[in-house]
Amino acid sequence: MLGRTLRVPLLRKVAEAWPWWLLLLALVGVRLSKGAGFMDAYALLSRPFWPGSAQSEWLRSAQHLRDQASLQMLKRDNERLRGLLALDRSGGGRVSAPVISREPGGWWQQLELGKGSVDGLRAGDPVLAPGGLIGRVSSVTPSTARVQLLTDSGSRLGVWVARVQRHGLLVGQGTARPRLQFLENDTGVRPGDVITTSPASTLVPPNLLVGVVQSVNESLAPAPDAAVQLSAPVDAVDWVQVVTR
Amino acid sequence: MGVLHRQRWCGATGLAVPLLTLASPAFLKIAGVAPSWAVLWLLPWALVDGPASGAIAGLCLGLVLDGLHLGLASEVPALMLLGWWWGRIGRRSVPIERSYNLGLLALLGALLLGASVLLQLFWSGQLPLVEAGLHTLVAQSLITALLAPVLCSLLLLRWRRIADLRS
Repeated sequence: MLGRTLRVPLLRKVAEAWPWWLLLLALVGVRLSKGAGFMDAYALLSRPFWPGSAQSEWLRSAQHLRDQASLQMLKRDNERLRGLLALDRSGGGRVSAPVISREPGGWWQQLELGKGSVDGLRAGDPVLAPGGLIGRVSSVTPSTARVQLLTDSGSRLGVWVARVQRHGLLVGQGTARPRLQFLENDTGVRPGDVITTSPASTLVPPNLLVGVVQSVNESLAPAPDAAVQLSAPVDAVDWVQVVTR
Repeated sequence: MGVLHRQRWCGATGLAVPLLTLASPAFLKIAGVAPSWAVLWLLPWALVDGPASGAIAGLCLGLVLDGLHLGLASEVPALMLLGWWWGRIGRRSVPIERSYNLGLLALLGALLLGASVLLQLFWSGQLPLVEAGLHTLVAQSLITALLAPVLCSLLLLRWRRIADLRS
């Protein structure tokens, strides 16, 4: 009887405290799930104060600035070293010239520029467009210059495949895609390789982007050759830069 | 020889040939290839003015056009031959007026001109890829032949009227 009177109020107390038991159960749940509900609730509440896009932009611009600064430093360093090696003999002046006539199709692939010998242009000067090298000046008049595009069937230019460290000859074919001829048999060139002007070149500025290898014909007899897509859009170019010497 | 070459401004229309070659309007191209403006101007000129005048006009046009393109290949021989040939055709009793004939003559002229350029590129070792050369040849001949009935017949009628008035 005594035990019964004792036990019943105790049980009733325990039963009456059910919200606390529930809370305890919930806390155990939190502990076992490594804080699942808490972290989600915290994330939900603190969302307005998260680091926004502005912060990532600051970071990106800082990175951009660092990249640019290091690029400039490398460029200056490169020029100094080239000067020491006496490789860079070009004066380095660049003249912007408008394209006044364009004939990328037809028998001859050529451009006419609206600047000539008065502005310092000479036959043989390399011509750059946004995207890379497109050709060389073949003849000048006092106020115009004629450019032989790299796609012209008379165009020949020594180029460099940086990934495999090989020289090649870029031969125009009268089509939009010139052909890259190699001197050795085992070149290892793959589609996607970037082609630049030769780093040791004195005729054209070194390390200029020319194009990308589109396909390689390995089965050709003396040495393989490759089709090249020029990186500069010749059909759409309105202004070019001529590197004068 | 006819009388057309004595009209200075008639000859001056030949200046349109180098100008159009330089401007090379994009809407008059087939697959990126422009028509042969020299053929389009020379055809009516030679038909009206005779073989000697046609050959001389071909020489003049060829000299100017050779100065406008790269390399050493010349258009002079083909243009002179075409001028002389069309001049002889123009001396026949039945005058050529139908657009079909004009288109056919222009087609043959553009083919001959293109073939002569292609041969010279072949000899100088600057031959383009065979497919590219054929593409240019066919495209240029087609667009020239398509434009000939429109442009040549207008010039032909105009110049024939002037020649009739002056003679």
